[in-house]
Amino acid sequence: MRITPFSSLGAPASGMRVYQTWIDALADNVANISTINPAGEPAFQERYVHARAAGGGLREAIGLGGRGSIGSGAYVAGAEFGDPEGRMVYQPDHPYADENGMVRMPDMDLSTQMTNLIIAQRAYQANVTVFERARDSYLRALEIGR
Amino acid sequence: MTVPISPIDPLATGPAALAPAGTGNRTEGAGTAFASSFASALDDLDAAHKATDELARAAATGDLRSVEDLMIASTETQLATQLTVAVRNRALESFNEIMRMQL
Repeated sequence: MRITPFSSLGAPASGMRVYQTWIDALADNVANISTINPAGEPAFQERYVHARAAGGGLREAIGLGGRGSIGSGAYVAGAEFGDPEGRMVYQPDHPYADENGMVRMPDMDLSTQMTNLIIAQRAYQANVTVFERARDSYLRALEIGR
Repeated sequence: MTVPISPIDPLATGPAALAPAGTGNRTEGAGTAFASSFASALDDLDAAHKATDELARAAATGDLRSVEDLMIASTETQLATQLTVAVRNRALESFNEIMRMQL
């Protein structure tokens, strides 16, 4: 991270990026909520975002890790993928149906995805609020002695 | 949207104006130290403006990857500009105060 006199802006900015990525992953899941695959192929795998605290670890959290240990925010460490097994659904008229009339669908339910979407949206908005508060504080500091 | 400003030329106005030429007095060291650090701050500010301009261009051409990147960069650049202007105003104020001193 670049050294800046406005360090409090960095953490909410990184949080916005993390939740942006989570919203992207949830959008992927919702878009594929009823994607049907043949029984012989893996199902659509649910997308998970692996978020980590930047500069984490207890030593750094209590200020022994040197510069940048507090207020360094979060980052996306990677993506995880759900069970390719999915669940088998009986749809005998479907062109992908096997001899038993089964097709493979992803093992996700829409209500969980929508709930996570609300959480992600609210968390993104919370990060925007922190960012705005930090900006307002810096603007007030710039008015000292004016 | 960021308003493009013309690049600031730090060395022509900074150290030359602040450090008295050829006097060799004792304050020259401190004067040039402030002048050079202020000049490097102006260079940093110029770089921040260029980065924000690049993001604004990406937004205009449809290449922007995420909206928050542009807003964060423009907010940071706005704050950095105001900080630099505040420091400049204070320095000028001090200079004028010294110039008004009764000899």
